[in-house]
Amino acid sequence: MLMMPVLDLQFGERIVTLMAALVLVLQIAMVSQRWIVLHIRIFAVQSLLLAMIAATIAWYNHAPHIYIAAVLTLVVKVILVPILFERLVTRMEIHEEIEPIVNVPLSVLIAGGLTLVGYVVAESFYRPDAPGVGHNALAVAISLFLIGFFTMINRRKALTQVLALLSLENGLFLAAISLTYGMPLIVELGILFDVLVAAMVLGILVYRIRESFESMDVSRLRRLRG
Amino acid sequence: MLLILLLLIPVATAAASYFARRRTVMEAVNLAGFGAIFFASVVLGARVLADGTVSLANGFFYADALSALVILLTASVALICASYSIGYLRDDQQSGELGDDASGKEQLAQLRMYYTLTPLFVFSMLFMAVANNLGVMWAAMEATTLASIFLVTFYGKITSLEAAWKYAMIGGVGLSMALFGTLVAYYAGHNLTGSAALSGLNWSVLAQHSAELDKTSMRLAFVLILMGYGTKAGLAPMHTWKPDAYSEAPVPSAALLSTSTLNCAFYGLIRFYILTSGCLGAEYPSHLLLLFGLLSMGVAVPFVLVQKNFRRLLAYSTIDHAGIMAIALGIGGALGSLGLMLHMTFHTIAKALLFLCAGNVYQHFKTDQFSKIKGSVIKAMPLTGVVFFVAMLAIIGMPPFSLFQSEFLILRAAFDGGHTLTGVLFVVFSAGVFAGVLLLVGGMILGPGGDEPVAARRPWRNGSLLALASTLVIIGFWVPAPLFELISRAARVVSGQ
Amino acid sequence: MENAAQFFLLLMLSPLVTGVIRTLKARLQTRRGPGILQLYRDLQKLFSKGMVIPETASWIFTVTPWIVFFSTILAGLMIPMVAAEAPLGLFGGVLAVIYLLGLGRFFLALSGMDTGSSFGGLGSSREMTISALAEPAMMLAIFTVAIGAGSTGLTEIAGTAIGQSWRFLAPSQMFAFAALSLVLIAETGRIPVDNPDTHLELTMIHEAMILEYSGPYLALLEWAASIKQLVLMTLLINCFWPFGLQPTWFGFGAVEGICWLLGKLLLLSCAIVLLETVNAKMRLFRVPELLAVAFTLGSLALISTFLF
Repeated sequence: MLMMPVLDLQFGERIVTLMAALVLVLQIAMVSQRWIVLHIRIFAVQSLLLAMIAATIAWYNHAPHIYIAAVLTLVVKVILVPILFERLVTRMEIHEEIEPIVNVPLSVLIAGGLTLVGYVVAESFYRPDAPGVGHNALAVAISLFLIGFFTMINRRKALTQVLALLSLENGLFLAAISLTYGMPLIVELGILFDVLVAAMVLGILVYRIRESFESMDVSRLRRLRG
Repeated sequence: MLLILLLLIPVATAAASYFARRRTVMEAVNLAGFGAIFFASVVLGARVLADGTVSLANGFFYADALSALVILLTASVALICASYSIGYLRDDQQSGELGDDASGKEQLAQLRMYYTLTPLFVFSMLFMAVANNLGVMWAAMEATTLASIFLVTFYGKITSLEAAWKYAMIGGVGLSMALFGTLVAYYAGHNLTGSAALSGLNWSVLAQHSAELDKTSMRLAFVLILMGYGTKAGLAPMHTWKPDAYSEAPVPSAALLSTSTLNCAFYGLIRFYILTSGCLGAEYPSHLLLLFGLLSMGVAVPFVLVQKNFRRLLAYSTIDHAGIMAIALGIGGALGSLGLMLHMTFHTIAKALLFLCAGNVYQHFKTDQFSKIKGSVIKAMPLTGVVFFVAMLAIIGMPPFSLFQSEFLILRAAFDGGHTLTGVLFVVFSAGVFAGVLLLVGGMILGPGGDEPVAARRPWRNGSLLALASTLVIIGFWVPAPLFELISRAARVVSGQ
Repeated sequence: MENAAQFFLLLMLSPLVTGVIRTLKARLQTRRGPGILQLYRDLQKLFSKGMVIPETASWIFTVTPWIVFFSTILAGLMIPMVAAEAPLGLFGGVLAVIYLLGLGRFFLALSGMDTGSSFGGLGSSREMTISALAEPAMMLAIFTVAIGAGSTGLTEIAGTAIGQSWRFLAPSQMFAFAALSLVLIAETGRIPVDNPDTHLELTMIHEAMILEYSGPYLALLEWAASIKQLVLMTLLINCFWPFGLQPTWFGFGAVEGICWLLGKLLLLSCAIVLLETVNAKMRLFRVPELLAVAFTLGSLALISTFLF
């Protein structure tokens, strides 16, 4: 009765669509909640889902080099970066976000609106002839990009801005997977290496900001003008 | 082999500096390393003139005239800055800017950080110029941001952190857009060569088949790339990080940032421009470039006129010149491209010189506000004063200096190509910047004298200053033939001939 | 015939569900709890007690318990519980259910303000704030499901859902389910929106509105509250997980259907209890944030039926 047609392409498409939808929900959850540690964990789960999407697409389209990208994503974005940031948060002892510039219900609604924009943009890429998965994931990817960008502007704690930047890059990774089955391996390696180093660098910077300003509130960075 | 060497030397220099124990060893290693890089880049230039292009590893590394020019400029500035920074950092160490613990360990750590990060910084810029793969180019550009963040926070002041944060965030967002653009460009081309092939993102391959790229994708890609690499170049409205970063970073790093990073950002932009104009025709990218260029020039004018801080003034001047280069790229054609390449070369020399002079002034007077420099620079530091004045005249485009010639060429290209409004606005904005800089900096240099003592000797710094200044003056009258040939070939790469 | 059967099921099952939830919660908190049948005993006790009606109350006060009780039962008769065909399914679908429940809530809010006590007014205003945000979310989520089924009749919705087994993997269904779950918590007054066990001024919403009631009227209102909870839970279950829904009430299928219903209700109760135990009650002005998320999820659900 509940037969699992695992090798069926349609099933694969459904699973990928489902995971992409979950990724979107997580991104909206990131907009709506205010605990920094939870933010980091949601980012980790989101990256995990992305790695799983990559693996699924690799399976169904017989593109083995995407497996490597998936594993790398797993190692860097699911394990290394969240551990780095959680240690940072423990050291800095800040756990809650202050009120963002646009209040939470409104920013959640804006995030919904940006999702719609993402869909509209993704429509122009729609290729009905191309088999396999893709269209939904691309829309989610662009939405992730836009929502990440919005969160960067909206939030005031430095670490949250960094996480928003990283979720923006997550969106780009998803776009790469769904548009072109990932980029050449060297490029993926380079990008992931950059992400790792960026996380470390930004982490150190956030720590130093916290030390100097007694707070991670970047709206206090106003001394340089003109 | 040459290309690999070009990349290995800076890495080796960084490693050696990291493990060095004494300051003099670090300084010597840096100087030697950058000297070797400069030498290698000259040899590369000669090879490119002889062979056309140099490529390695199945097209992974690729250098044509454009790359060779950018590499040569980067290497020269890096060398001069290396010799300047020896004197500059020694002065900082003496005056306690680097931290004032008795044993000197903290200061040594700071110096080590500088002497390790700077070669890595230069490495990433060189990598960008020799990488053929668009994605690797992006990764190198991101690496320049990462390497330079800690250079901006070098002095550890609150304002440095603020500047570094803005730089990191705005640069991060911009580069994400550039990554997206690279991705879309890859998508536009992946029908040609297959998805898993490394050559799918190779610029040389894509340039050959640019007419077959997918048009709608390339439109989107170019906009994203323009906004992305334009952020690194400092085109308005993504320029807000520049004044902060340039005024907080140590002067040699600021000089590198404002010349070499600018050139590399434009290098990336030019590569994509070539692809886009091959695919969509030159009109679409041209409109966008002209828009951003004029906007940058326009934004620079008011900020230059009311500026109070001369390092920020230099930043706005860089924004202005980035706008000029964008306009030149947008105008295109044989004249426009030649103007662009000449301007890039001359601007590099003049701007680097300006920053070094500003460094001298800052270290002597301990302030970078115009109002606090009560005496005139020329009385307190005659050599610096003269050189500063000359460089300033050069950068605002006063004849007979070289920048006047390149700007005139660009103007001619504008009017010839029918971009009359652009030309008019160009003149208006340049006049605004001309007036502002002349008044402010001229007043600072030649103002009524106070009783500032004549400054101490600074062999390293003044030596570098003189070398660069003489280059600037000579180039105004005579460009050596091989250099000019390299520049024209680079221009031909841009205009597609 | 089915009307009567479902009527009795609603009446008798709802206190049991409430009792199960309370007992499970108590057990999770290592208490023994009042026992599963406690609400039955409470209702019996309340029906035998006398009533005290405030002098300042108007006719609304006396009429409300009846309206609330009967509108909730009527709404319950319109949803498929055991059989795919709801007894009063011809008279109304999804919209009727929502509006009947809304009618009940309207009168309850009015009666809260009717007595003139400050607690009642406080409860009414809070209830209205929450429902103003929760209702659109609920409607969007239900419309998503209805669009998928091509009709707003709950019978058709449940019928379509039975036919396609992997349908709930679709993102629109997932979003609608998430939105509806959040709304369920808000509408039934569970933690983290409202604490059903408290009588503290700072935290009570539903309790504040019925504070002045006593005796049989209180019994009717408590019963209606648990029936409403049962109705919403069944709506959630049978729109998205309609396994075990029988074609009609007759025959042995009815017993199997009741067993499936009980099983699913038990699962959902466990989920609710877990959610209540793990979370703390949200401060009132944070509740709009939660409901904004529900609203966005609902809109995304609706949009994704067209886009995904």
